[in-house]
Amino acid sequence: MKLQNSFILREYLRPQAFPTTWCPGCGLGIVMSSIAQAVHFRGLDKNNVAMVSGIGCTGRMSGYADFNTLHTTHGRAPAFATGLKMARPDMSVIVVMGDGDSMSIGGNHLVHAMRRNIGLTAVVVNNAVYGLTGGQSSPTTPVGGRTSTAASGSFERPMNLETLARAAGAAFYARATVNQTAALTRLIERAMGVSGFALVEVVSNCHVLYGRMNELGDASQMMKSMEEQTRRVNPVLLRRAAAPLRLTSAGSPATPVSTATAQGVHQDPRVPRGVIFERHGSRDYSSRYYAMLEQKARARA
Amino acid sequence: MDIVARGIYRINLYRELCKACGLCIAWCPQQVLFPDAQGYPLANAIERCVNCKACERHCPDFAIEVIPPEPESEIADVPSLIHAR
Ligand SMILES: Cc1ncc(C[n+]2csc(CCOP(=O)(O)OP(=O)(O)O)c2C)c(N)n1
Ligand code: SF4
Ligand code: SF4
Ligand code: SF4
Ligand SMILES: [Mg+2]
Repeated sequence: MKLQNSFILREYLRPQAFPTTWCPGCGLGIVMSSIAQAVHFRGLDKNNVAMVSGIGCTGRMSGYADFNTLHTTHGRAPAFATGLKMARPDMSVIVVMGDGDSMSIGGNHLVHAMRRNIGLTAVVVNNAVYGLTGGQSSPTTPVGGRTSTAASGSFERPMNLETLARAAGAAFYARATVNQTAALTRLIERAMGVSGFALVEVVSNCHVLYGRMNELGDASQMMKSMEEQTRRVNPVLLRRAAAPLRLTSAGSPATPVSTATAQGVHQDPRVPRGVIFERHGSRDYSSRYYAMLEQKARARA
Repeated sequence: MDIVARGIYRINLYRELCKACGLCIAWCPQQVLFPDAQGYPLANAIERCVNCKACERHCPDFAIEVIPPEPESEIADVPSLIHAR
């Protein structure tokens, strides 16, 4: 089904707050559109949906989306969202964070939300840089990527969020790009159906800062290059693969999926997109918690 | 690429929302859209539109929409939404 943009604007966004402060061509608007469409396709009542964001260009999304919204402090969106989900387990809670927001200052909160496997849909917009504050290095800046704090290119290896999420106990991890808009919507829609912590990492463009500093071209060139820089993964083929496949971006510590050692990790430099892992039988922390309380109450009675 | 002409679709461009980023023009497979002198899109070859919605889905600012004879969702009055207080 194809939704009209004016319908998305009226039903799921706050048109009076438009136009957004995002730069022309920034992928953040595409991410917001996909989230709105995913909520629609899941048939959710928007009054029973919450969007919690932190600080950053990405963090501004909660000002434009017409759900129950919380624009919180830098890095603490998962903590606020955990409180909300515990108070209102019936609510669908979407947490939108930037790469810096989620992995630098908010790394601790993200890890513990994943450890609890609390029922949140986390959308991490990865543009490889701190956008709002002027293009500083972020935990996902690739090796060699020039930023305002790494003028001759970053030499730190990027964060391996996929392996971190798996180790911490998240239920679902998918990666999408702002170039493949239908897949982006579908993956967010699927993540919203997961019981437990579901994370969708969205590769996006900050062409005005990271793009310019690295001569990556304008917004459309950056988006089109995502086609060559990523490859679609199929979880079934992934499990059957003879040699373990690398699931993270190039340069980050590579951990294979099917064996304990890193030998023979597939050398394809492209970043995988699609469903990276899904833990079956996962159950949201809030429902487990309330079930435990009921059980205790019954035992006492 | 072959250009298909159908001529049954309409395109609304909402100037107040548009930031002239050019993404809609870059993604149109049918060469329907062309930039004006300031980079804002013009639907100069609307008869070629096939309602693939590549322009609409890649517009980060909800500033373009393609209207088929039987839309799959409602169409809202964008100027009045933007100015509602
Ligand atoms: C406690 C605190 N520390 C630092 C900042 C400054 N700050 C604001 S946004 C930001 C990083 C934004 O990067 P990212 O999360 O990647 O978001 P983007 O702008 O790229 O979407 C920083 C360091 C802040 N607002 N609050
Ligand atoms: S600074 Fe970068 S991330 Fe922020 S709105 Fe502009 S393009 Fe987007
Ligand atoms: S829907 Fe948009 S992108 Fe597709 S043919 Fe029509 S104008 Fe071009
Ligand atoms: S993609 Fe949207 S904002 Fe960009 S030029 Fe086209 S209509 Fe305007
Ligand atoms: Mg960022």
